[in-house]
Amino acid sequence: MSDVAVHGVGTSHFGRAPGTDLVTLAWNAVSEALADAGPEPVDAVWVGTVFAPAGVAQRVLRAMGITRVPVVTVENACASGTTAFAEACEAVRTGRYGRVLALGVEQMSTAFDGAITPEDTDPEGATGLALPALYAMAATRYLHEGAVTPAQLAAVSVKNHAHALHNPRAQYSGRYTVDEVLASRMIADPLTLLQCCPTSDGAAAAVIGPATGGPREVGVRGVALRSGAPWGRRSPHVWGYDIVAETAADALAAAGLHAATDVDVVEVHDAFTIGEIVTTEALGLVAPGEGGKAAETGVTALGGAHPVNPSGGLLSRGHPLGATGLAQLAEIVWQLRGEAGGRQVEGARIGLVETMGGGVSALDGNACVVAVLEAP
Amino acid sequence: MQVTVADPRPRIVVAPDGTGRVAGVRCQACAEPVAYPWPACPECGGPVVAAEFGPDGVVWSATVVRIPVADRTPPYALAYVDLDDGPRVLAHLDDVAPAVGARVRLRTDTPDPHVEVIG
Repeated sequence: MSDVAVHGVGTSHFGRAPGTDLVTLAWNAVSEALADAGPEPVDAVWVGTVFAPAGVAQRVLRAMGITRVPVVTVENACASGTTAFAEACEAVRTGRYGRVLALGVEQMSTAFDGAITPEDTDPEGATGLALPALYAMAATRYLHEGAVTPAQLAAVSVKNHAHALHNPRAQYSGRYTVDEVLASRMIADPLTLLQCCPTSDGAAAAVIGPATGGPREVGVRGVALRSGAPWGRRSPHVWGYDIVAETAADALAAAGLHAATDVDVVEVHDAFTIGEIVTTEALGLVAPGEGGKAAETGVTALGGAHPVNPSGGLLSRGHPLGATGLAQLAEIVWQLRGEAGGRQVEGARIGLVETMGGGVSALDGNACVVAVLEAP
Repeated sequence: MQVTVADPRPRIVVAPDGTGRVAGVRCQACAEPVAYPWPACPECGGPVVAAEFGPDGVVWSATVVRIPVADRTPPYALAYVDLDDGPRVLAHLDDVAPAVGARVRLRTDTPDPHVEVIG
């Protein structure tokens, strides 16, 4: 039995919307979440965002009449939205606040012309490494170790784009073949364009409160948040593996689960195809070295033993950094309520959200959040 | 207003034998090698002393960047290199990415950390 529950969720549409202001994006998410949860006011707000200008939280909240309450803005790279969620849950669990709004909002289309690069105050950014190249390093290493094949990398993109056909909020969807994915433009060897998440704008929100046993409440069984350890030759793993494995272990223990295989539906951080493969292995959803095969053989597809990213994931839904974690959460809430339409995982009772944000040089990720949720 | 920021890249120095070294620090408590002049050990928080690493190492992984990043002209190759008894550093490579496991040596004539294949 959970002490804390998600009472409502909402999201904007995801896509390139340089002409849409952040107020509108945020309102689309918050108004849906509040309508879903019931109209009572919130006692506090946590906002996750990465590239928005200073003051963005109050700037969007004032426009919807959410004033005179504590507002805290958090930045944890791609895990900013889930960090806002984790902090909101803890504030409710400890009784600090009764009803908390978590909001993630991001407009990438006005901030980046192409791939994200780490800050140029970081060695990686100053040396010309873009984020696709950082993930490409992991993919090259996996190929070298025989832990994945190019076709298996592409299979993740094929799967997630097909999943998104059933998600009307997704930025992209489509029926691609492995050959088409591999033939798309090379971005950073071996990752091709269709193996990279798009530039996206969007917002997502959740209302968190005490669990009361309501018929639409999705229980929060466990949440964990970690920053990364130094990453180098001490670890045998690729970048981002250890932080996910350790955070997942914390969250599964908090949820009273033995293993990720006890979970029915999963949303993970697939900013690039290799990211989903590494993450499914780090979570323990599949054995080490089996993540690529799991995508290729349908194990992680809708209808498979361990469905991963039924929403289409970051690859297809889109990846507005601060909003992503709460968009993942919204998908799992819909799945656990049985409201996911054509992408519904039948009978899903336990769901898991994983977001990993990185870019700071020499660290195995800036932050990872893993949350375990249960159906009403 | 033009603001000059500190260059965050590993500092390459030339040793008396003419080869390149990364000028960083090493932890006095856990021996962690660090490519930067940080005030404490990132692994354990222990005290550090100045240390130099290189010139040789092994390619841990590599890629070729085929999109423009800042003012750089693609394509260009990058590798994570594990310097012998030293830290993992991001470095540029000549032309194409060499195979994982290739032996490489730091160059001394570029502002970016840059390695070339040896042997």
